[in-house]
Amino acid sequence: MEAVLALVIGVFGGAGVWLVLRPRTFQVIIGLTLLSYGVNLFIFSMGSIFIDKPPIVKPGVAADLEHYTDPIPQSLVLTAIVIGFATTALFLVALIASRGLSGTDHVDGAREEP
Amino acid sequence: MYSGPPMPLVALLLLPFLGSALTALLPTRARTLVAGFAGFVSAVAAVWVISLFPRVSEGGVIRETISWVPSIGLDLILRIDGFAWMFAVLITVIGALVSLYARYYMSPEDPVARFYAFFLAFMGAMLGVVVSGNLVQLVVFWELTSLVSFLLIGYWHHRVDAQRGARMALTVTGAGGLALLGGVIILGHIVGSYELDAVLASGERVREHPLYPIALVLLLIGALTKSAQFPFHFWLPRAMAAPTPVSAYLHSATMVKAGVFLIARLWPVLSGTELWFWLVSGAGMTTLLLGAYTAMFQNDLKRVLAYSTVSHLGLITLLFGLNSSLAAVAGVFHIMNHATFKASLFMAAGVVDHETGTRDIRRLNGLMRSMPRTGTLALVASGAMAGVPLLNGFLSKEMFFAETIFLSSHPWVEVGLPVLATVAAIFAVVYSLRFGYDIFFGPPSTNLPRQPEEAPRWMRIPIALLVLSCLIVGVAPAISIGPSLAAAARPVVGGELPDYSLAVWHGFNMPFVMSFVAVSLGVVGYFWLRKHQERGQLQDTPLVARLNGRRLFESALIGLTRFSRKALRFVGTQRLQTQMFAIIAVAILLALLAARDVPLAWGERERLPASPAFVILWVIGAICAVGAAVMAKFHRLVAITLMGGAGLVTCVTFVWFSAPDLALTQIVVEVVTTNLLLLGLRWLPMRLAEVSVRVTTRDRARRGRDLLLAIGAGSGLAALSYAMLTRPAPHSISPFFLSRALPEGGGANVVNVMLVDFRAFDTIGEITVLGAVALTVYALLRRFRPSAESIEPPQQQRALPADAVTDLVRPRTAEDAARGFMMVPATIARLLLPLSVVVAAHFFLRGHNEPGGGFVAGLVVAIAMLTQYIVSGTLWVEGRARFRPTRWIAVGLLLGATTGLGAVALGYPFLTTHTAHASLPVVGEVHLPSATFFDLGVFAVVVGATLLILTALAHQSIRAHRQPAQTSALTKSARAR
Amino acid sequence: MSLLLPHLMVVPIVLPLVAAALLLLLGEKRKRLKSVLNISATFAGLVVAATILRRVDGGAAFGEIGVYLASNWEAPFGIVLVADRLSALMLLLVGVVSFCAALYAEAAWARAGVYFHTLFQIQLMGLNGAFLTGDLFNLFVFFEVMLAASYGLHLHGSGWPRVRTGLHYIAVNLLASSLFLVGLAVLYGVTGTLSMADIAEKLTLVPASDHGLLHAGAAILAMAFLVKAAIWPLNAWLVPAYTATSAPVAALFALMTKVGIYALLRLGTLLFSADTGSATHFGRPVLLYGGLATIAFGVLGLMAALRLGRIAGFSIIVSSGTLLAALGVGAASVTSAALFYMLSATLSASVFFLLVELIERIGVDGQPQLRDVDVSPGEDTNLDDEEVPLVGRAFPISIALLGLAFMSCALLVAGLPPLSGFVAKFSLLTAVLSSEGGVRATANASMSSAGWMMLGLLLLSGLAATISLARAGIRHFWSTGGRFALRLKSVEAVAVLTLISACILLTVCAEPVMRYTSATAAGLHAPRSYIETVLSTKARPRPPQSALEREGSP
Repeated sequence: MEAVLALVIGVFGGAGVWLVLRPRTFQVIIGLTLLSYGVNLFIFSMGSIFIDKPPIVKPGVAADLEHYTDPIPQSLVLTAIVIGFATTALFLVALIASRGLSGTDHVDGAREEP
Repeated sequence: MYSGPPMPLVALLLLPFLGSALTALLPTRARTLVAGFAGFVSAVAAVWVISLFPRVSEGGVIRETISWVPSIGLDLILRIDGFAWMFAVLITVIGALVSLYARYYMSPEDPVARFYAFFLAFMGAMLGVVVSGNLVQLVVFWELTSLVSFLLIGYWHHRVDAQRGARMALTVTGAGGLALLGGVIILGHIVGSYELDAVLASGERVREHPLYPIALVLLLIGALTKSAQFPFHFWLPRAMAAPTPVSAYLHSATMVKAGVFLIARLWPVLSGTELWFWLVSGAGMTTLLLGAYTAMFQNDLKRVLAYSTVSHLGLITLLFGLNSSLAAVAGVFHIMNHATFKASLFMAAGVVDHETGTRDIRRLNGLMRSMPRTGTLALVASGAMAGVPLLNGFLSKEMFFAETIFLSSHPWVEVGLPVLATVAAIFAVVYSLRFGYDIFFGPPSTNLPRQPEEAPRWMRIPIALLVLSCLIVGVAPAISIGPSLAAAARPVVGGELPDYSLAVWHGFNMPFVMSFVAVSLGVVGYFWLRKHQERGQLQDTPLVARLNGRRLFESALIGLTRFSRKALRFVGTQRLQTQMFAIIAVAILLALLAARDVPLAWGERERLPASPAFVILWVIGAICAVGAAVMAKFHRLVAITLMGGAGLVTCVTFVWFSAPDLALTQIVVEVVTTNLLLLGLRWLPMRLAEVSVRVTTRDRARRGRDLLLAIGAGSGLAALSYAMLTRPAPHSISPFFLSRALPEGGGANVVNVMLVDFRAFDTIGEITVLGAVALTVYALLRRFRPSAESIEPPQQQRALPADAVTDLVRPRTAEDAARGFMMVPATIARLLLPLSVVVAAHFFLRGHNEPGGGFVAGLVVAIAMLTQYIVSGTLWVEGRARFRPTRWIAVGLLLGATTGLGAVALGYPFLTTHTAHASLPVVGEVHLPSATFFDLGVFAVVVGATLLILTALAHQSIRAHRQPAQTSALTKSARAR
Repeated sequence: MSLLLPHLMVVPIVLPLVAAALLLLLGEKRKRLKSVLNISATFAGLVVAATILRRVDGGAAFGEIGVYLASNWEAPFGIVLVADRLSALMLLLVGVVSFCAALYAEAAWARAGVYFHTLFQIQLMGLNGAFLTGDLFNLFVFFEVMLAASYGLHLHGSGWPRVRTGLHYIAVNLLASSLFLVGLAVLYGVTGTLSMADIAEKLTLVPASDHGLLHAGAAILAMAFLVKAAIWPLNAWLVPAYTATSAPVAALFALMTKVGIYALLRLGTLLFSADTGSATHFGRPVLLYGGLATIAFGVLGLMAALRLGRIAGFSIIVSSGTLLAALGVGAASVTSAALFYMLSATLSASVFFLLVELIERIGVDGQPQLRDVDVSPGEDTNLDDEEVPLVGRAFPISIALLGLAFMSCALLVAGLPPLSGFVAKFSLLTAVLSSEGGVRATANASMSSAGWMMLGLLLLSGLAATISLARAGIRHFWSTGGRFALRLKSVEAVAVLTLISACILLTVCAEPVMRYTSATAAGLHAPRSYIETVLSTKARPRPPQSALEREGSP
């Protein structure tokens, strides 16, 4: 299970990095989004992963990491998701503006790669 | 703070600076007033300095300390001994004379206030150099002199030669100053203090220290640049672009003397070694010869003087380089003499060009008739320069000859030195004659721009005074200059003076023979040279004309700039891809470097059994991710869809591993993000695989490189996360939250409690980010100009029949979307709106105890609104619902802040949660945790921000009336590079 | 927080937030009111920062370390704000620079687009938060606040150059942020906590087998800061971005590189100092040599740059290179000198950016280009072509003032005497020369090559700055000869003069400031007291019932 999760984080990260290195703004934004998925999962994977032991306290259950999954990474990821969403939106608009002003969707705003 | 005699010396130092400040405020063209004031200031300073003589005559030292930054040994120490006194006298007296002279030299329209302000400032800086009792302080004033001389040389700033000359002077002397700083720091490091007394006391230690060579070289670079010594001599002739008074002051008497001042000042500490001898006397000798030689061939009066100055400074440097105290005394003596006659000569040259309108020796002739007085003065002064008996120049030159003879060293040196000295003397006679004889005798020149006449008396007075002193010293040295020379030389040679006699006549000895030879050969040489030059030969300096220091310097500077530009192209970049690559590559590199000594090992926490469903799920996920990566170039829609798939899989994973909150958030964010991207698609250019450009091998290579990096990054992430996943978390702080969430946080959903209570501070920041981004998006899109080809409506819309009236085409005529083809979805969506609000309310209210919360609720509402936009069109929605997103953001932020401040009002830290128990009539007892209000703030911000972003983007499509972006954008970008 | 007024520490964060919200509520009208509100809020921030500094400095050996438990949960569980000498110093710096930037912006830029004031305040909130917080993840959040606002400010006024550089700026920072998250996650995974002090505490408990992970995480985390601090080769984004954006924003951005430096200094000393047991002097060489490379890069840039804006950008790179190298040396004396240097460098950089715009307003004839070597015989003469004596040209008063300001700014940037730039550079050089890590000068005077390189590069950078500044100054002031008069708004003049006089003050009062910085450095290099103070601060007991009753809805 852990192995699968780790592998997938790797795949997301790799795909993200690959796209981030591409010359078209659209590729970059998709890449950043994939990368943020990967990173979020990565943060998430720092906690202990359990199946149906959500960090919602039930009476009579000992409050430790044996009976609940780690809430901290979850709260971190929650914040990270929101911030990631915001920055993605920003980048999208920036790239649209750049496209509008330069007439091309190249990351350097040049017509073709210099 | 301050300790010293009642009338503090610091006032003497401040006086010129004060005067400079006041001068700047005077009416800028009031020549007499300004000059009078400046002259008065310098005269006062001069009297003051001279009056100090009794206190320094017998080796006494006046000291004053003002603490500035003691912790780094940087204090203001004013220290005047005989040597410093002598310099101070030169600076102030000649300063006074020059300011009188400049009154007549400058033209009535000149903005003289600026001139005199800089002039006085320079005087202050120069005084500061000579009275510094702390080496760092000396550097400070040293650099100040460079700066002010830059401004003075550039006084006629609209002239290119002034600009270049000033810049060259600044660059060379400034560079020297930095070297000097380095040297001083090392010297201070050796001695353990920057105070001059301490340094002077520890000569032995310095000379034996392994760092001595470095320190010496750095210090010498400083001194030699300032004194225009070979190979840094070229800046001085260029500095002649300055007004002549400036040359008379800076380039004869004061600033160029700063270098030799430093050499003399540190003579007791640094001299006495082989290295010293070879470096200093070597530079001195070369400069002496080169300067004198070049001077012979100059045709510009001022340049003759400039090169002769270079050569005389070389003489002084050489004297100090000889490691003999007698030579040092001679050096000090020559400093005084040179200052007097050279200053007067510069002023005379100024008079000449002022009266005749040219400085070209070839055009000037027989001025004796028109300006006899000036001519006489100039003749006497040039005699002193040539070393004619009964003038001061003669005496120091004799001493110099004597030294060259009695020096005991390498045989070659013992023979060569006297010979070279004589040769230099011959040259000196020649250029002196060219200056004096050439222009004042012979038939009066006819083709002068202006008819020359005698200069006004007050312009001649300063010259006369200086020349007079040359005579007096030359005739009766012992009584006139003796005491001050003794006082000045004593500290230089370190306490006890060698015995020397200041007699005019030492008998018929070797030095006299040398002088005699020099003078006679000089005269012969002069006429020989003149004959040739009248034939038009030997116009520019033979042999050395090739290596033109100035041109070398300038081309070096430009070459340097060109080189740096080329180099920048290698080490820097303008391209985003390269930057991203660098960041990721360096990150991987650093991580590997950091972890290299401890091998990465998997932990031993017992693994969860892998379930096939999960594996399949993730195979899909991986496929989605890779697919998106591949598709993103040509099939954007597919890419977005696949990305959505990946997002969904992530979301399912969160559910799977018991993170319901994350799953909820992820899914709603997913929806919004996808919508955003879809809205954005419309503005991106068409890109088809068929028409794409041919792929070169370079592209292939880069792609391969990127692929490798991507794989590296991915596997790195995977390895890290697997390593962490398999480790137990022994001392995590989480149990605390699990145990306190319900009792003290008042909520069962720990994650939510963390967001609104434990780590509410994060949430405040988070919503601020959201707000800021939304505002940015709005501000940016307000100025949005679509590119030319995306102005047209997309072809789906163009495909409609011309008379079709929908909410998407010609919406102004469509007052109800129901006429459009979106009727059914629109109706449904409108029914959905209240429903979704209810859902949102549900999420919001239960958020504290179960998955949900303000953020999710906000997004749900936002999505509902968004749906209306999609199905009914922007205009329709906004025609009916008045909605102010920015208000929501503002209110939300305020709500969050005030909730926090509520706690403060109760005397608890910011954002402390409280629970209010209000008893309502019907409902009964209700618990109102302040966290709820906080969450409400979050809700408001989320709704506002999301809608602001989405609607701002949506609005673009109905702003068809907008002009396309100017095509000049690209040319702008070219300039922006 | 015994001596500190309660709640004083949270003001630098909450005040801008509230101000931003109010400014937003005011809508796009009411410009005058908004300007007043913005400036007064910024000024209030400055005053608060000064007060905090005074209180922090009032204390004993390492001074009072103020700890504020946000939402009343004690460390490591809640988020703590910590104000030690360093944080206070940075806050003050932010206060001064932001105040002048706000003043300057009122002249024109504030009206060049919408929501300038709001974003400005949010930017301040982010900066102050980053300097105050004692929690790693909270640091990330405030980084994001700061960045989000900075994106907006950078794009303020739109236009192609801004959008183009903005796109790069955003992309680079997004990447850096995800690195931040990864590194932070690893640190949490290894230590199981997020409070910086607690991490430092727990590091000793980390088993040796995990050190590889730990260091890898720390390295990735450091990457985020290094990108911000513009280390070579990760700094290509800086110069285009800073030159494209508006002057007041650029002045504010002069602070942003320092945030990276701050984070490196804070975490580096806290987590990896000898004092906390885990005495692996981790990454020192990277910082040192990276810093040196950065200086060299900056020097190249200075030599190559003809436009004033680019010179300013590269001078920022030089200064952060110097700071990084100084951190790399890692001796308390050097750190102290570096802090002084940072003050001077930041102030002068921001005033430089303000001046650039004013000076370029004078206008020059033609594009800047390299003048070729003149092959004229260089026959200097004090006579013009009609061979009548030359007459100087007077400058209009505004140009003369501007020239003076530019000159002092140039002295500051080039580190020439007599202004604070020189004092800073000099103290740095002496510190490097005598520090163990730097140029080790023992009896046999064996010197570490890095120390020598630093010595040389510092002097060299000064020379390069002198050359290129003289070049630009001549071009702008002398070649034009002040033929074009300049309309200088009073707020602009005030802003510039304030910054310059701040530098002069720094020069005159160098001694007390140095004492402060050395105390700061001492505190940083012995973080025990920091850790103990943070972890030992107790939360206030939960409110008794009565208090609850009184509080209705806040």
